[in-house]
Amino acid sequence: MNYGSLLAGILVLYLAGAFAALICPRNVRLGNTLSQSFSSMASLLGIYLSGSLLLQGPTRGLVYSHVLNVPNITITVTIDSLSAFFLLALSILTLAVSIYSRGYLSHYYHQRNVGLFNLLYNFFILTMISVMTSGNIIFFLISWEMMSLLSYFLVVFEGESRENQRAGLIYLIMTHIGTAFLVIAFMLLYQTTHSFDQSQLHLWVDSPVKNWIFIFLLVGFGTKAGVIPFHVWLPYAHPAAPSNVSALMSGIMIKTAVYGLMRFVLPMITPGYEWWGLAVLLIGTASTFLGVAYALMEHDIKRLLAYHSIENIGIIFIGLGLSFYARAAGNQTLCALSLAASLFHLLNHTVFKGALFLGAGSVHYATRTKDLEKLGGLMKKMPYTGFFILIASLAISAIPPFNGFVSEWLTYQALFANLSSHSTASQLLSIVAVAMLAMAGAMAAYCFVKLLGVAFLGLPRSRQAAEAQEVPGSMKTGMGVLVMLCLVLGVFPRPVWVMLDAVTRSLLGQSIMNGAQGGFFYIYFPLETTVSALSPLMVLLAGILLFVAVGLLVKLLGGKFGQRRYGTWDCGFDGLNARMQYSATGFTKPLRIVFRGLYRPTRELRIEEGASRYYPESTTYLVTTRSVFEEYIYAPLISAFTKLARKTRFIIQTGSIHDYLIYIFLTVVALLLYNGFNN
Amino acid sequence: MQNVLYIPVQLAVMLLLAPLVNGIIKKIKAVSQKRKGPPVLQLYYDFYKLMKKGTVVSETSSWIFRAAPYIYFTAILTAALFVPVTTVLAPFSVTGDMILAVYLLALARFFMALAGLDTGSTFGGMGSSREMMISALLEPSLLVSLFIVGLIAGSTSLYEIMKFSVLSGITILQPVYFLIFLALWIVLIAETARIPVDDPSTHLELTMVHEAMLLEYSGRQLVLMELGAALKQLIFITLLANVFIPTDIFVQGRGFLVTVILSLGFYFVKVVGIACVTAVIEINTVKLRLFSVPNLAALSFAFAFLGFVQYFVIGR
Amino acid sequence: MNHYLELLSILILLSSFILAAAKRIISYIWIFRLQSFLLVIMAGYLGAVNFRKEGDIDILIICMVILVVKVIYIPRLLENTFAKVAYKVEKDFFLNIPISVLICCGLVMLSYFSIFPIDDLREGVMKTYLVNSISVILIGLFFMISRKKAIGQIIGFLVIENGLFIAALLSAHSMPILVDLGIFVDVLAGVMIMGVLVFRINENFESININKLRNLRG
Repeated sequence: MNYGSLLAGILVLYLAGAFAALICPRNVRLGNTLSQSFSSMASLLGIYLSGSLLLQGPTRGLVYSHVLNVPNITITVTIDSLSAFFLLALSILTLAVSIYSRGYLSHYYHQRNVGLFNLLYNFFILTMISVMTSGNIIFFLISWEMMSLLSYFLVVFEGESRENQRAGLIYLIMTHIGTAFLVIAFMLLYQTTHSFDQSQLHLWVDSPVKNWIFIFLLVGFGTKAGVIPFHVWLPYAHPAAPSNVSALMSGIMIKTAVYGLMRFVLPMITPGYEWWGLAVLLIGTASTFLGVAYALMEHDIKRLLAYHSIENIGIIFIGLGLSFYARAAGNQTLCALSLAASLFHLLNHTVFKGALFLGAGSVHYATRTKDLEKLGGLMKKMPYTGFFILIASLAISAIPPFNGFVSEWLTYQALFANLSSHSTASQLLSIVAVAMLAMAGAMAAYCFVKLLGVAFLGLPRSRQAAEAQEVPGSMKTGMGVLVMLCLVLGVFPRPVWVMLDAVTRSLLGQSIMNGAQGGFFYIYFPLETTVSALSPLMVLLAGILLFVAVGLLVKLLGGKFGQRRYGTWDCGFDGLNARMQYSATGFTKPLRIVFRGLYRPTRELRIEEGASRYYPESTTYLVTTRSVFEEYIYAPLISAFTKLARKTRFIIQTGSIHDYLIYIFLTVVALLLYNGFNN
Repeated sequence: MQNVLYIPVQLAVMLLLAPLVNGIIKKIKAVSQKRKGPPVLQLYYDFYKLMKKGTVVSETSSWIFRAAPYIYFTAILTAALFVPVTTVLAPFSVTGDMILAVYLLALARFFMALAGLDTGSTFGGMGSSREMMISALLEPSLLVSLFIVGLIAGSTSLYEIMKFSVLSGITILQPVYFLIFLALWIVLIAETARIPVDDPSTHLELTMVHEAMLLEYSGRQLVLMELGAALKQLIFITLLANVFIPTDIFVQGRGFLVTVILSLGFYFVKVVGIACVTAVIEINTVKLRLFSVPNLAALSFAFAFLGFVQYFVIGR
Repeated sequence: MNHYLELLSILILLSSFILAAAKRIISYIWIFRLQSFLLVIMAGYLGAVNFRKEGDIDILIICMVILVVKVIYIPRLLENTFAKVAYKVEKDFFLNIPISVLICCGLVMLSYFSIFPIDDLREGVMKTYLVNSISVILIGLFFMISRKKAIGQIIGFLVIENGLFIAALLSAHSMPILVDLGIFVDVLAGVMIMGVLVFRINENFESININKLRNLRG
C-alpha cells in the first residue's frame, strides 16, 4: 500500500471518529463505541505506517503539499524518520487510550456530552499529528495553537468546579506565553532565511541573533514541555483533565516540545555554541530532581503523576542537552547516541506514563476519589489494575527488566561518555547530572512505593475504597497493552534501537550501530574508549532461572509447606485498624524534614478536646508544602503585571472611544511613515 | 571451561560466605563486651531451623507479601552475578554492568518496602519509609563513586574495573581510590543497616529500619529476607575488597586450579578483614539520629566528588 | 614520593571536610588535633627527605614545634578553657550540615578555578597541592563564618593557619625558619588571647555564642 493513501486513511478514520458520536446522539453507548473503534483503527494504521517507515531505514521524508493562495503558507505534510518516530509513540498511546476510553467514558453517559468529548478528543489527536508532520513553520504554528486550544477545552471538560477552571486558565495563559516566544523566535528566523519552509532549516546556521533565537525557542518549547521553571501549569492541568486526556497530554503532548527542539534547534548547532547544550542539560538536571521531589509530597494521584512528568521530561532533556553539547563539540557519535537515548526514554515515558495515568483513571473510576489518604487495600479488590500499576511503577522507577531501565541505562552511558570530555564545565555538569539521576531514580521508587503501598496495600481507609470493584474489560485491555509494552520494550530493546538508528541517520547522518556486534538480544553503547553492553533478556532469563532454583531449593530444604493466616502483630492490643497505618503524609515525612529548605512545610494540628485530654473528639493534622517557584518567581511577576495594568487604566486605557480612535490613527500614520522612510 | 565455572563459583562463594560475615561481626562485638557470644556459624543453624518451620502470614496482606521474599532474594542473587569474587575467572555471557547491579538492588528494595506496607502494620510503614529515604540519600554517592572508578578503568563493567585494579597495584593507596573507598564505605554501612545508621540487633520502634520491615515474616520467608540482606552486604564488601585491595596479581602464573583456589583464599582473607574493621567501627560508635543520616550522605558524596575533582580536573 | 604527599594533602583536606560536618566542640578540637598531626607527618617526611639531601634540619625543627604547639598544647589549652565554660546545649551552626558540606565542595571547585589557569606551576601535582591547601584555607574561613560559638572562630583561624602552612611547605619547601617560628608565636599568642576573651564573653553573656556580641551595640 502506498504511504499517501495510508496517511489519508488515518485522517479519514480520525475524522470519522470525531463525527461518529455526533451522528447518533440518542444512543450514547453506540456512538462512543463507534468513535473509539474508529480512532483505535486509525492508531493501528498509524503504528503500521510509522513502524514500516522506520524499519525501512532513514527517509528524507514523504512530502505532500497543498499550496494555498495565502503567501508563505503551504499545507505541507512531511514525514521523515523523526516525525515517524513521534508518530509511532503517539499511535501506540492513542491505541491504548482509545480502547480504554470505551469503558472509561461510560461514567459520563447521560451526564455529559460524550459526543462532544469524542469530537474534541479526535481533533486533538489530529492536531498533534499535524504538529509532528508539518513541513511549514506557519502551518506548524497553526497546528500548535490548535493543539493547545483543544487540549484546553479537554482540560476544562469537567469545568464546573472553580479549581478546574483555574487550572484551565493557568494552562491557557502559560501555553500562550510559550507560543508568543515561539512566534518571536520564528520571526527572527525569517529575517535571516526569508523562508518558512522547514526543509530549509540548514540555512539557519548563520544568524547574528542565533543565541536569541535559541533562548526564545527554549522558553517557548520549555513551557509546553513543562520543565522547571516553566512547569507551573502542569501540576494543575493534568489532574483537572479526564484521565484519558491526562494520559495523552502527559504521554505525548508535552513531547511535541521535545520534537520542536530536535527539529528546529539541532540543525542550528555549530561549534562555538556549546553553552546551548549545557543550558539544556542544566534545565534537565534541575527538572529531574525537583520534579520527583515535589511529586513525593503529593497525595493526589494525578498531581503526583504530573510531577513525575516533569522528572521524566528532565531525563529526556539530559539526553537532549548532551546531544546538543556533543554536536557543538564535534563529537558526532556521542551526539547521535545521546539523541537516541533521549528518544528512547521519550517512547518509554509515553508507554509507562500512559499506563499510570490510565491506572489512576481506573482508581478514580472505581472509587470516585484521587486522594491517596482515602484509599487502601485495593490490590485485593482490583487485582488487575493493581498489577498493571505495579509494573508501570517499576518501569518508571527505572527498575530492570522493564523499559525505563533500558533508556536510563543509555542516558547514564551517555553521561559516562561525556565525563571524559575536555571541558570542565561539561564534566562538572555531567557528574552532577549522574548524581541527580541516581537520586531521582531512588526517590521515584520511594514515591511509587508510597503510591502502591498506600493505595493498594494494607487496609482500606474509606468506604469507597472498601467497596471498590474491578474496572470493565476494555479499560483493563487498554492498560494491559501499555503494560505489556513496558516489559517487551525492556526485554527486546533492539527493534527500537534499529528504528532510532534510522532517525539519527536521517537527522544527523550518523549511525548508532557502528561497531555494534552481537545479536538481537543485546543493546550496545559503542564508544571510542569502550563498548558497554547490556542484555536485558539474558538478565531476565538468569533471574527467572535463579528464581526457580531458589524456589526448588527452599522446597527441598524446607519440606512440606505449613502456612497459617493470622492477624498482623498489634502489640497485643485489640487489633489494628486502618487509621493506625502509615499514611501518605507520614510516609514521606523523613524526606520532608531532610529537604525542609526546599519544601518549607507548615504544620497545623487541631485537636477538639472531648471529655478528657486523653480522649480527643477529633484531631486534624494538616501539612502543606509551598512551591518555591510559584512564591518567588511567579507571584512577584503576577503582582508586577497587575500593578502595571492598574496604572495603564488611568493613562492609556481611559475608556473613551475617541482616545482609542486616536491610537489607531497614530499607529497608521506611524506605519506609513516607517514605510516611506524605509523605501 | 572458565565461563562455565564462573557462575557456580560465584553463587557458591557468595551464598556460603554471606552469613559468615554477620557471624564474625557478632562474635567480635560479643568479645569486646566480655561476652562469649553465639558461635560464628550460628546464622547457618538458624536458617536451617527456620527453613523447617511453617510460616504465619498476615490476613491483611496480598500476594505481594508472599512473593516479596522470593523476588527480593532472587534480585540480589542476580545482582551478585555482576560483582565477581575473583578476576581469574572470566564472567559468563550474561551481559550487564554496575548500573544494572545497582538497579537490581533497587528492585529488591522496592519489594521489601512494599512488603513492609502490605501488612498494614505501623512498624512496616515506618521501616519502609526510612529505608527508602536512606537509600535515596545515598544513591548519588554510590553511583558517582562507581562512575569515577569506572572512568579510571574505562568501563562500566565491574569485572573490567577489577581487572584494571589488579594491574595498577594496591589501588587504595592512590588518592582518588582512597577517597572513593571512604565514600563507598559510608554507603556500605548505610545500605546494609549497620550501626551508625541502623542497629540490626534491636527491636525498638524508635530505631528500627531494616528489622521493621521484616517484623511480620517467619519461617522460610524470613530466611530468604535475612539471607538476602546478608548477601547484599557481601556484595558491597566484595566491591570494596576487589576494587580497592586487589590481590589477584600475586596469584598469577600458577596452574589454573591453584590460581583459582589461591585467589579465593585471598578474597576470603579480605572479606574477613573488612568484616573485622566494620565490627570495630560498630563497637566504637553509637547509632546516630535518623536525621543525621543526611550528614553522612553529604560527607560520602563530598568524598566521591573530591575524588572526581582530584582525578579529572586537577591531576593528569 | 609524590603519591604519599598527595594522599596526605588530601587527608588534610578531608579532615577539614569532617570538621565542617562536626557538631560538637569536643570533636572540633579532636579533628583539629588530627589535622595538625597529619601536618606533622607531612612536615616530618619532607624534613627527613630534605635532611638526607641537603643536611638541613630547619623543617624537622618546625615539625617538632608543630607537634608540641598544635597537636599537644593548643588543643589542651582549648579543652581546658571549654571545660571551665559552663556547657550549654545550643545549635552551633547557621546552615545545616549537608548544605555546609556541599558548599565546601563548591569551595574546592572555586579554588580549582582560580589555580588552574596558572601555567607556570611546575606540574600537575603542584596544582593539586595548591588547590588542596587553598581549599583548606577557604574551608577554615567558611567554618569561622558558619559557627556561632567562639570556639568555631578559634578553630577556623587555626585551620586557616594550617592551610597556609601546607601551601608554603609543599610549594616552597617551607619559609625561612624565623618566619615560621614567628608565625607560631603569633598563633599561640592569638589563641591564648582568644581563650581569655571567651571567658569574658561567657561571663558577660552567660553563653559563648558570639551572636550575642551584637548586644554591645549602643
